Amino acid sequence: MSSRRSSRGNISEDEINELISKLQSLLPASSRRRGSGQASTTKLLKETCSYIKSLHREVDDLSDRLSDLMSTMDHNSPGAEIIRSILRS
Amino acid sequence: MASTSSSTAVEGRERKRKRTAGGESASAAAEAQPSKWRTRREHEIYSSKLLEAIRLVRAGSSSAAAATAAAQPRSRAVREAADRALAVAARGRTRWSRAILASRRLRLQAARRARLRAPTSPCSSRHDATAAAASSAPGKGPKTPPLERKAKVLGRLVPGCRKLPFPALLAEASDYIAALEMQVRAMTALAEALSAVSSSSTTTTTNGGSSSPA
Repeated sequence: MSSRRSSRGNISEDEINELISKLQSLLPASSRRRGSGQASTTKLLKETCSYIKSLHREVDDLSDRLSDLMSTMDHNSPGAEIIRSILRS
Repeated sequence: MASTSSSTAVEGRERKRKRTAGGESASAAAEAQPSKWRTRREHEIYSSKLLEAIRLVRAGSSSAAAATAAAQPRSRAVREAADRALAVAARGRTRWSRAILASRRLRLQAARRARLRAPTSPCSSRHDATAAAASSAPGKGPKTPPLERKAKVLGRLVPGCRKLPFPALLAEASDYIAALEMQVRAMTALAEALSAVSSSSTTTTTNGGSSSPA
């Protein structure tokens, strides 16, 4: 993997910049700003952290919701089959 | 379809970077690219795994004793099952996925060992000691550059990436974010579908025999 190569001391700056730009493209907020060539790395990391935290929170909320829904469909096994077919299509 | 996917595997990977919903069968050739989490196939794979995991949680919580479960039994179990399904979907190619699966196994083993030994589990105290050591080891020096501090925070957020060098950390974080987004999409879809099913089933039960012609 390329990670082994870069951790060997000679961390090429280009690789870091490429990774940073890839990360930046994933973040929702920075996709708004067109042509933002040099977003500060610190700001980028901060946005990344907050985005991951918000995603974690969303997953927690969703799992709360799913656990509530699970209790309602306890004796509803045909419902699970329907859902699986819905998800597959 | 197999021949085209094998010959254009490299091009397919490039194309997948531009296109979002690929759904190609070349997923086997795809590496740990963050874009692979956007393919429809991954979404389907994860959704079925998620459903299986949730079914297991439901079966476990109904049969097992409530004493073993924590305060928030089911939502935390659902969250962990979803994370585990996500890690399995990563097919072991990323560090965070391996860390999720490894930590879960360790935690299960520790819990089992704690139950076999005295109620005062020495394993948990050991975990606390190592956790405290890890948090105090970096030292809150005022001279720590803000970049390094942020990188440390990021390393704590992504599972298993605390001691990773910077470029590897960035790569793991990109893949982790893409995977989390897919997890959110899949769980949302599942929640919507479940709520639709449950609401429709409750309405039919309350009406009860509405199919009889007036």
